[in-house]
Amino acid sequence: MEREIPAVFYDGVTSKPQEATVRVSDLNSLEVVLPDGARFQWPLEHKGMEWERSSSMLRLSFGDHPRRVLLIRDELFIKSFVLRMRYTGRQGGYDRILSFARSGPVIFFLGVVALLVCAYLWILPWAAERLVLVVPSTLDERIGEAAYQQMAFALNEDRDKTIALQAFGDAMDLSPSFEPRYHVVEDAQVNAFALPGGHIVVFTGILEKMSSAEELAALLAHEATHVEKRHSTRMMARSMAGYLFLSLLIGDVNAVVTLVAENANALRNLDYGRGLESEADGVGQEMLFANDLDPMAMVRLLELLEREAIDVPEVLAFLSSHPLTEDRITAARERAGSLGVPQRPNDRLGVLFEQLHPTTDQPTDEMPSSDN
Amino acid sequence: MLGASTTQRLAFKGKGGDLFVVLIVNMLLTFITLGLYYPWAKARKLSWYYEHTELDGHPFHFHGTGSEMFRGFIKAIALLLLIYGTYIVGVLMNEVTIVLVGILVMFVGLLAFIPLVIHGSLRYRSSRSSWRGIHFGYRGQLRELYRICLRDGLLTLITLGIYASWFTINVRRYTLSHMRYGSSSYAYKGDGTEYFLLNLKGYFLTLFTLGIYAFWWQRDLFNYYVNNLVWNFQDGRRIDFKSTATGGGFFGLMVVNLLIIIFTLGIGFAWVEVRTMRYVLENIRMEGDADLNAVVQTEQEHKNAMADDLGDLMDIGVFF
Repeated sequence: MEREIPAVFYDGVTSKPQEATVRVSDLNSLEVVLPDGARFQWPLEHKGMEWERSSSMLRLSFGDHPRRVLLIRDELFIKSFVLRMRYTGRQGGYDRILSFARSGPVIFFLGVVALLVCAYLWILPWAAERLVLVVPSTLDERIGEAAYQQMAFALNEDRDKTIALQAFGDAMDLSPSFEPRYHVVEDAQVNAFALPGGHIVVFTGILEKMSSAEELAALLAHEATHVEKRHSTRMMARSMAGYLFLSLLIGDVNAVVTLVAENANALRNLDYGRGLESEADGVGQEMLFANDLDPMAMVRLLELLEREAIDVPEVLAFLSSHPLTEDRITAARERAGSLGVPQRPNDRLGVLFEQLHPTTDQPTDEMPSSDN
Repeated sequence: MLGASTTQRLAFKGKGGDLFVVLIVNMLLTFITLGLYYPWAKARKLSWYYEHTELDGHPFHFHGTGSEMFRGFIKAIALLLLIYGTYIVGVLMNEVTIVLVGILVMFVGLLAFIPLVIHGSLRYRSSRSSWRGIHFGYRGQLRELYRICLRDGLLTLITLGIYASWFTINVRRYTLSHMRYGSSSYAYKGDGTEYFLLNLKGYFLTLFTLGIYAFWWQRDLFNYYVNNLVWNFQDGRRIDFKSTATGGGFFGLMVVNLLIIIFTLGIGFAWVEVRTMRYVLENIRMEGDADLNAVVQTEQEHKNAMADDLGDLMDIGVFF
């Protein structure tokens, strides 16, 4: 390589660039000639000599701060320089990976994209769930307790009914690993929710709409399954893992991409949430059966929810878990069919239910009294 | 005394395909190291942007390294744990007093760290940037930045947020006016009142035009940043920055970007980045009689990467 290679030289003293020429003088150095005729040797083997290659440029630097810099854009020179560095063991791992990737094997990109997609869709949720299993369930209790204490101020709890509901719940065995604590809250919403670790809140709105003790049992079984199966904690672990994955990998790529990805992540969580609802229905029905209650009660509870939850706008229909009640009802009916009716019907709950139900004083007969 | 006035433009020479390769490799390495590679990935990405940004045909260079940023990353996480730690412990122990102390620590801690983060990132980032072998630098005083933030923060609170425009511009003026490039320095002439009126106009016109004016508002904000920036040289000559961005330009840029993202299912993100960089940088014109060759190296090496990473984690955009 006796060619003279054009280069740009920055001396680190002023911002004036100098058009230099570079020649390979011997194995260990380059000879640099400046426009004013000055020439000097540029060592290649010296520890203080650093090189960096970008897509079209080689940047050599040498010396203490401020360093002297040579920029070379000659493709042939860059190629042989990089080869030389590779053979003398001075090419870093990153540069190797990058030059391999730059050579453009489509299979590499497809592979990486496929790996990342798989990781996001399956490996990551799986790992997050494993992690939750390792974490002791007392964490659920602590998180739930803290959350409940913070929202308790805003909830208008009915003390008497809470005591009655606790007795109602305690008459069954719904959650082997936790001790559910039931609360009745004065609120017109036809709803109930469970916090991790055991707090289960039931609104008076849904109690009023209920017509049998078994429906309430089905509701508690559903909510207790959320607690027992640690749904909230699993959900949190999954969504945090997803968020961390997205923000570390594509977080600072581009605002639009991040926005799209975060929304997709939220949608996925919603979808996962629907899966958890079905699980709560299913396991809840098994709980009902184990407590000598008719699993069909879950179907009636869902039908009640479907009738009452019409206030969800149609647009949100495919996003929210509620309007899918139709599917859940069908599934619950099938499960009830395969579980059958318990041999010894549980009649302890009826009296307890009456304390919770406002229409106790004037009993109505319009509800169907037989289940089969 | 006055030399011939010349016009320069920043140029962006990066190609979407090349950035795609760099970012895919970054993602792969970040993934297989369970995220530990993040600081190195960040340094690689910054290097790539600098290397492909040119002024007068010469590229910028980013000197920061992954290991520097990794140390900062670790310190930043430790610090954030400290700030949030008391609160989280309090919540988990369900102790009201610890929760309250935790909330206090969190607020005071975060507020106290914002000026530090701005200061530190500016120092780190500028000292690690060079052009033609001459380093940039930031010589603002941390104490002064605290004074501005405390004063303007209080005024913003008292005026229910109205003073935020003055706050923004005061911080911007202070920080940009203490930026240097070797022996030359920068100044920012913007003022809060003008910035406030501009935002007021932008807000209402965007409201009245059902969002369409947002692109022109964006243009005004960009112009206000660029047009008020001056580059002063040691011999008294200077270069003025002029934006040539237009609302229509921003509109086209963003609409096409959105289409690219949608139709490539996100894979086109690298091309979107390149298009954006090109639009922003190539719409900054520099006019003046100063001699770009006459700058002398002045800045010392600066070693402390913590604040740079803190800035990242807290998502404070110091640079536009």
